[in-house]
Amino acid sequence: MGRIELKDVNVTFSLRKTTKVTLKEYLLKGLFLTTVNPVVAIHALNNLNLTLNDGERLGVIGHNGAGKTTMLKMLAGVYPPTSGSRIVEGRICSLFDISVGFEGEANGWDNINYRGYLQGETPKSLKKKRGEIAEFCELGDFLNIPVRYYSAGMLVRLAFAIATATEPDILLVDEVLSVGDMAFVTKAKDRMRQMMKKSSLMVLVSHDLNSVQEFCTRAVWMEHGRVLLDGEPRAVVTAYQASIAQPAAVVA
Amino acid sequence: MIDHMKAVWTFRYFWLSLVKMDLVTRYRRSVLGIGWSMLHPLAMTTVLCVVFSHFNADPTKPDAWRLYAQRTLAGLAVWEFLRNTLVLGCKSFLQNEAYIRLSPLPYGIYPLRTVMGNSIHLLITLTVLVILVAVLGTVYVQPTIWAVFPAIILAMLFGWGIATIAAFATTYFHDVSHLIEVAAQAFFFLTPIMYEPKLLIDQQLGWLVTVNPVYVFIEIIREPLVSGIIPDWDRYAYAGGMTASSVALGLGTIAWLQKRVIFQL
Repeated sequence: MGRIELKDVNVTFSLRKTTKVTLKEYLLKGLFLTTVNPVVAIHALNNLNLTLNDGERLGVIGHNGAGKTTMLKMLAGVYPPTSGSRIVEGRICSLFDISVGFEGEANGWDNINYRGYLQGETPKSLKKKRGEIAEFCELGDFLNIPVRYYSAGMLVRLAFAIATATEPDILLVDEVLSVGDMAFVTKAKDRMRQMMKKSSLMVLVSHDLNSVQEFCTRAVWMEHGRVLLDGEPRAVVTAYQASIAQPAAVVA
Repeated sequence: MIDHMKAVWTFRYFWLSLVKMDLVTRYRRSVLGIGWSMLHPLAMTTVLCVVFSHFNADPTKPDAWRLYAQRTLAGLAVWEFLRNTLVLGCKSFLQNEAYIRLSPLPYGIYPLRTVMGNSIHLLITLTVLVILVAVLGTVYVQPTIWAVFPAIILAMLFGWGIATIAAFATTYFHDVSHLIEVAAQAFFFLTPIMYEPKLLIDQQLGWLVTVNPVYVFIEIIREPLVSGIIPDWDRYAYAGGMTASSVALGLGTIAWLQKRVIFQL
């Protein structure tokens, strides 16, 4: 059973204009130096309120930099909210940044282990799944060589196969299907459909408006870290498309 | 805090498998493999034996070098362990950034990966030392050898604490890792490793030996293993106090910064 409840959630990144603050600067700041490197606060999520109950499939759309990925990472627990409360109940499976975090020197089989354990598997539960993962990613003997020799596509195949081998309550997805060859994309889409059926709650971040309409029961349109519109997918997508079409019409 | 430690335990397969991988990849493509881990202390021992047997300070005791070689290897083993734990611990969040960004694991796991990896090297060196004691010493095995194990556990916990603090500090200020490297070099000469503590005590600097947190761990690991002496209880109390403070500070730093450190990575 999955449940997500966000109350007035804010996430603010404090970035430096140039690089990080150095120890020297930190120590001297209070004494006599005025900083040449001011902090820029980026309000990635702005008073976000959202409740998702069992069975809901949420599609998140919006421009680049609207805070969609930050929201997903906050839901996954990677970014703690700067203020507000985040309640997430249920086992999470996150499909974002899936091709990072591999140990390049280790071979495919070992990386299946690391990733599996990272997702909370035990040697016992993973043993059953290893064969299944190997079969799904179709990498065959490549699993015996270190992953640093893998191509980007192969890495995504492996990552996707591992990430989707769990049975989550909550599925968090960020544009994973745009990579890999045609055959794999089709296969991956099938697997995604199965997972969406099995998991009790899903959040899908996508620029593919068709898949949002196809898979989701609810959609939100985000802009500057806020929810601009929340409702039935078709209505939200139509409104979003209209907003994109308008400036284009002016130019034409 | 208890939740944090529970979570570290839940993900034990994850960090244990990474420790194993670190060990395997370190010597991948080399002929001897893990044998290098053995060879390193062995080579060091050979050098120590040769040096000490040729430059014998006291001609009335021609066999003194035998003991010096054992004592110095023991001191170096503990020093290397603590130094590497701290220096490599600095980078433990930066190196595991991909995992930190992927999944909200307890932060204590990453310094633990460093400490465990270094502990294995410590154990290998100490095994070489046990052999050396049998070869050069007056008895095959000191009857007090059992006391080494709790001391190693203490040293590992102490190492985890300092590595955790260093990891957070380095994430905020990258200069810290360089500062620590320089400071470690100076600290090496302050610690009676290549010389006997008597040298400092004679200079009225005995307090430097007493408070030195590295030396206390050298003492409680070396004495039962090499000299067959169990150090006084107050030395154990000092080591225990150091360990408790280090672990408490490490846990405190995690509690304080765990919700913020990701924005610094």
